[in-house]
Amino acid sequence: MHFPVELAHAAGALPVIIQEAEDPITDGEGAVFSFYCGYNRSVADQALKGRLKFLDAIMFGDHCVQLLGTADIIRWHDPELPIVFEQPVSSLDMDWAFDETRSVYVKLKEDVEELLGARITDDALKASISLFNRNRQLIRKIYEMRVAGTTDLSARQMQHIIKSSMVMDRQEHTGLLERLVEAIEARPASRRQGMPVYLSGHLCQAPKLELLDMIESTGTVVVGDDLYHGYRFISTDIDEEDDPMTALANWYLRKNEKVPCPTRADGDADWDEFLVRDMRRTGAEGLIVLVAKFCEPHMYYFPEIQERCRREGIPMLKLETEHDSMPMEAFKTRLETFVEVARRRRRHEKPESKQERSHAQC
Amino acid sequence: MLNADAIHMDWGTGKTAPVKKANRLKATRLGSAIVHDYWSDLFSAKERGKKVVWYNGTYIPPFFHAHDLAWVHGEAWSAYLAARHVEGDAQSAGESRGYDRELCSYARTHIGQALMDKKDLQDGKIDPQSAKGIAISQLPLPDMIVNAYPYCSSGQQWDEMIYRLFDKRVPIFHVNVPMLWGGRKDAAYLSGSEMDEKIGYVSRQLRAMTDFLVENTGRKYDWDRLSEVMAFIKKSAELRLEAMDMCTATPSPASFFDWIVSIAHVNFMPGTQRLVDFFEAMKAEIAERVANGEGAVPQEKYRFFFDGMMNWNKVGWLAEKFAANNACVVAGRYTHMSFWQEPQAIDLADPVAGMAHNYLACPNNSGAPYMIGEIDRLCEKFKIDGMVMHVSRTCRGMTNSQHLIVDSARRHGRAALFFEGDVADESFYKDELLNTRLEAMIESLDSKRIMAA
Repeated sequence: MHFPVELAHAAGALPVIIQEAEDPITDGEGAVFSFYCGYNRSVADQALKGRLKFLDAIMFGDHCVQLLGTADIIRWHDPELPIVFEQPVSSLDMDWAFDETRSVYVKLKEDVEELLGARITDDALKASISLFNRNRQLIRKIYEMRVAGTTDLSARQMQHIIKSSMVMDRQEHTGLLERLVEAIEARPASRRQGMPVYLSGHLCQAPKLELLDMIESTGTVVVGDDLYHGYRFISTDIDEEDDPMTALANWYLRKNEKVPCPTRADGDADWDEFLVRDMRRTGAEGLIVLVAKFCEPHMYYFPEIQERCRREGIPMLKLETEHDSMPMEAFKTRLETFVEVARRRRRHEKPESKQERSHAQC
Repeated sequence: MLNADAIHMDWGTGKTAPVKKANRLKATRLGSAIVHDYWSDLFSAKERGKKVVWYNGTYIPPFFHAHDLAWVHGEAWSAYLAARHVEGDAQSAGESRGYDRELCSYARTHIGQALMDKKDLQDGKIDPQSAKGIAISQLPLPDMIVNAYPYCSSGQQWDEMIYRLFDKRVPIFHVNVPMLWGGRKDAAYLSGSEMDEKIGYVSRQLRAMTDFLVENTGRKYDWDRLSEVMAFIKKSAELRLEAMDMCTATPSPASFFDWIVSIAHVNFMPGTQRLVDFFEAMKAEIAERVANGEGAVPQEKYRFFFDGMMNWNKVGWLAEKFAANNACVVAGRYTHMSFWQEPQAIDLADPVAGMAHNYLACPNNSGAPYMIGEIDRLCEKFKIDGMVMHVSRTCRGMTNSQHLIVDSARRHGRAALFFEGDVADESFYKDELLNTRLEAMIESLDSKRIMAA
């Protein structure tokens, strides 16, 4: 989640962020307990089924306790697959956070160089940083267009954009993004109608596309998110002028200022505060919290988010998601109720627009 | 078959309960007195003008002791409530705020108590004279918070929540104890260049932590006192390990359950001569038992290894269940691989690096191949027949590698069973599941022995 893939790219590798698979977990059931999150169970399952053999190595080293276990499961069952593991500091507001993070990334750079037999020069790293920044900036531009209402890209389409950037060659992906932005600018779409909502949560894996479709089919339009397969992933650029290792360390620490991550300890960052601010920025009128079942960091912070929404009068719906066994019909009923209640509350606050009345009648 | 005498029906409740047969160490009574006095001292700490640190994670109290502070270990407090079966309402309080039941039950208990029960007590909703009221009302509130968690990513969020519950007014300090992955060519269990680097990193943080304590007390840090405290801790740790080693005898003179009830002592009791006396008494009693051929389980027939965090609601219950089936749980990951397990690393003239070494030695904190290698070594040493794997539902730190541990155990010819429970939430424990699986494992061991004969 927090590894600078620019390092792998600068060494000549294609960095691919491992995704949760769609298929049911079978082999992985014997390796990871059922009370672990779907992402970890799925990654272990893919490893045991031999589906990660296309990789030359895995760069691991996050702080999530479940992910640490998954790294060990992969190593245990496939000792031939190199795993590069360096753990960045998890307490971001401690005095040594910058120095330690930088030294961890320097070690990570050495690990990658040794593994690939390639030297990562400052020039190569700066070029990778620049490319990845460009990629992030283009996606952020699409996000801005969505807020401005000049594109009608759906939540499903936004996820496609992000997920493809996680697994594709960034040069090729950036070229596609440039064409997409040009196309949007050339033919701006009219704003889709519906209650503007914000999606929060899912810190590792992508929410299922069917769920995103369902959310938007109940009369909402997603205008912003802090999902990992969303704005969280592209929120922060890396300084292109600074020494690249220093810039990477600063990027790691600064990401939390842009979008707080509950897997980090940072007394200065409040997820609930961020959400309220970002909802105002994007014009969202309701919050849908997607909690991946068994995600402990999210569980810790959810009560604060819930309380803040109550205080601010923000309609909020929590949906707990799983790898499988998703109760989609129950979700639909809850979403419809959420939208109805939020609309009714809004009607009490301000007169309903003509367009929305029309949509609501559909 | 499960020993028929092992179970009797309590007709009052309709529940079954094992007949008591465990032969517990008498020295544990001395230990109970130390624990009792610790809590009593803690409850009156503020009256005596002491500042109080709430901390979570590893066994850092010597740093507090040397600075004349009182300390509250969050896990210990939750275990304390759980062992007295008064944790339920604190957990309900946490749940009513929105904390999910799948969240670490230690944290849920501690946060729930800190959040709601204090308020309810102040509002008169809890009777201060009730068992729960007495326990809750006595806990002094924090002047400082220190987090020092190895491995588990849940631990630091827990303290962040406590920090927020006190409106960010109580100063907080984090010590990162990073994982020892062991990916380098020179890696081995608790050694190699990675270990050396991490010792340096943790040591720097520990020294910075003493600056934090100084800043929040206005008193100079007494490094000589730290050495004095650590002298008692080191001696106690050595005695404990020597006593543990004697349990290679058959029958084993002490069980995992004797060691689990003395965890508090090596984990967070003050480093004093009294602690040394306790472990000396334990060692002497164990030596006497070895000389007399006396076992912790009178008719020891099977020797087990306990893996996983302790289920604090069920310590006595589990001790009797295994004893009633002539099974001695001899050793465990939690007892035999944690808590000043490397006393030789501590240089009393300058103890910080050795303390960091020990904090990094949390067994979960080492990559699985190294940690499991050490478990296998212990099983060999203590002649273990089977593994009892407590799948503690809300403790991912301890459950993470359990499938791999069993995989390795079976390769070494040892039986294994899983049973689900939890550290401080007894609703996850299903007694019949353990009964059935224990019965099956014992039958399997019997069959194996018959075949071998």
